[in-house]
Amino acid sequence: MKPQPLLDAASADVLGFKWLARAIAPASPYGDRAFSELRPFGVGQEAEAQSRAQRIAEFATRVAARLEAIRAELVELPDATSAIARASMGDVLADPSFLELRRFCATVERIDDLIADSSAQPPLSNDAVSAVGAALAIGQVEDDRFYLADAFDASLATARANLARAQAELDAVRGRECAQVALELGREELGSDEFIVMRAELRGALPAGVRVQREAPTYLLCALDYGEAALAALQRRDEAADAVAEREERVRAELSSTVRRNAAGLNATTIALGDLDLMVAAARFTQSCECVPAEVSSKTVLEFERARFLPLEAELVAAGRAFTPLDLALDHAAVLTGPNMGGKSVCLLTCGFLALCVAFGLPVPAARARIGLFEQIAWLGLGREGHVGGLLSSFALEVLALKEILSRDLPRLLILVDEFARTTTPHEGKALQVALLGRLRERRACGMLATHLEGVAAAAGVRHFAVRGLRGIPAPPATDNVDDALATLAASMDYRVAEVGAEDASRADAIALTALLGIDQKFVDAAYRALG
Amino acid sequence: MRVGAEILRAAQSIGARTIFVVGTGRNVGKTTALRAIYEAAWNEGAQVGLASIGRDGEASAQKTLPKPRLWLRPRTIFATARGLLPASPAAEILKLSPLRSPAGGVLYGRTRTGGFFELGGPPTASGVREVVDELLSRSDVVIVDGAVDRVAALAGSDGAVVVAGGAAGAATMHEAVAEIAALVTRLRVAAFDAGVPAIHIDGALTADAAAALLARGETRQIVVHDPTQIALSGRAATEAFARLDLRCVRPLRVVAATIASIAPERTFEPVHFADAVAAATLLPTFDVYRGARAA
Repeated sequence: MKPQPLLDAASADVLGFKWLARAIAPASPYGDRAFSELRPFGVGQEAEAQSRAQRIAEFATRVAARLEAIRAELVELPDATSAIARASMGDVLADPSFLELRRFCATVERIDDLIADSSAQPPLSNDAVSAVGAALAIGQVEDDRFYLADAFDASLATARANLARAQAELDAVRGRECAQVALELGREELGSDEFIVMRAELRGALPAGVRVQREAPTYLLCALDYGEAALAALQRRDEAADAVAEREERVRAELSSTVRRNAAGLNATTIALGDLDLMVAAARFTQSCECVPAEVSSKTVLEFERARFLPLEAELVAAGRAFTPLDLALDHAAVLTGPNMGGKSVCLLTCGFLALCVAFGLPVPAARARIGLFEQIAWLGLGREGHVGGLLSSFALEVLALKEILSRDLPRLLILVDEFARTTTPHEGKALQVALLGRLRERRACGMLATHLEGVAAAAGVRHFAVRGLRGIPAPPATDNVDDALATLAASMDYRVAEVGAEDASRADAIALTALLGIDQKFVDAAYRALG
Repeated sequence: MRVGAEILRAAQSIGARTIFVVGTGRNVGKTTALRAIYEAAWNEGAQVGLASIGRDGEASAQKTLPKPRLWLRPRTIFATARGLLPASPAAEILKLSPLRSPAGGVLYGRTRTGGFFELGGPPTASGVREVVDELLSRSDVVIVDGAVDRVAALAGSDGAVVVAGGAAGAATMHEAVAEIAALVTRLRVAAFDAGVPAIHIDGALTADAAAALLARGETRQIVVHDPTQIALSGRAATEAFARLDLRCVRPLRVVAATIASIAPERTFEPVHFADAVAAATLLPTFDVYRGARAA
């Protein structure tokens, strides 16, 4: 899954691309390959994007109770692509590859059973999978093992029986030789192929067949040669072993040939498995994050009800708090104002995240949505700094980032601007924001510019949205704990966004928030006095 | 004397189902000892599991030398790398592990007929642990041909360690005995006493760290995770073991030593060698080649 060319790296980082990629990551090597090829839908592919999201949602509904079972099968699925490729080239496969292929075929059948009543997903199995699965089933031992069994070839069974007899004969003859020598040396056993005979313990000559390999002052290092009978038995055993090896290889060649003949069908199933894996991952995401398919518009529009920015929601839930879902209807460029810590940035991030989901054909975390496809989704605000060079001021960095975004000159642009020009004077900052909104309007871009500066929407002639803000000025918590302060703030803040008049002044509530966060009262009073 | 059976008995006497054969170096009779134990266990009708730490796991400069193939009897369970599995005789493939080794993925198999097999396993200690656990789940006895730095996989378990030492790599018998004794001393570091003051070492106890502890006359227990974390040799090891109270969280259980008195470049007098090792280690000491135990 690649964000480019839809998102630059900085925008991908800020808008939660990595979070989304993790949330919809597949489980199998087949899914991994499909996932690596996943690209955003482009303008003109609205129907395809919407269709994919609808299929995912439908699949999530139809197999809801079996999603985890399917995922578990995918996790355990062996990667048979290498075996299929080698067989296709004429290689004779080794037994571990047959185990992989057998498990592959068996797993495909089990997954087909699990998705049988899902019209959103065609069966994975085909004639090739059935043929190879049946051919290899002969070697299946219990549920999950493989052996090149006698039943593959009658001559193999015969050859193995011959080998067993030859080996038994050799063991007996050689065993007698070893036992005889051990007896003559006064030992229970020889212990190893090479053995030591102490000169002091040797009475007379070494037993027949014992060869001295090395002499030391007090002992002899010896080995026991094969006697005539043992040599003959060894030769018969080796011939029998060669016969078994030849027949085993013949069976492998036949099985490999079966795989080769069915390679096209097997490959088709591996591709289908990759698609299914992506579907399952997306369905789990849809299910767990309560997503719905958006209506994918051919216009540059971003409308949603009760939308959530999932990466932040996950953090809030972990902290025992909840995300306040957002409603918005945005086309072209607009201004967003609101108090500090009121969620302006989160509103922008939510816009970007939902647009991202739609671009990849995913259901969105909202109750309802109508969203267009964009050629570029850009973030301009905190979070980009690390991606531009080091000696420039934050203002310069911001301007260069804007230049980079605008230079792509893509007509379908969604740009999310978080307090552009905040580090210059309010007067010039406002002028720059108005100019930016003018440029976006010229380009018919969709975007939202969050700002604390007053009158920007009116000056630019664009719509004005505002976070509703504090319901009242909350009293600071009794403790000096930041978490308590944030909880108090969350209880007092109305994070919802609504359209307001272009001339409506924004409220920052910054001094109240400063008090809430624990700055001493004398400081706060001085700030209010300075405010007049 | 049936040496393999004696070593097996020593391990069983402490309830061990895993036997890890480690050596002071290459060509010290490790594989010979393993083979003797394996034959004994198989002859007793036990379901045996065999593994090796892998060809590249040796703590030796000669890393690329192949290990000798072992003749495995029917119904032996083994771990090896896909690249080392012989085409014939075909073995039952039990499981393909996600573990990797230099010779390919690790797999578990079971012999149906006797044949020569080369064992190979994962190069990491955690991989060895996984292999041992998998084999234990399928076997009565698991025997591992392993390098010392991988024996940590056994630490804290009910496994037994057999130390093999030999004439290879040591110029004199005295040196060889000292090497074996030093290894045994290191592997037999006792469990720490939670009720006594201790310093816990994070990672390996190096010569520098040991020197610093010695210099300040440290009397508390010096605790490492397992004996393989004591990275001391020579004089540093001698001093540290003599003057520091070295302990570990997860001890090992060394049950026997084996000797190989023959090396390509020299030989030792086997009876004296075995007796010297037994005296230095206080372990039952066996000479597989001679079929004898030190007095």
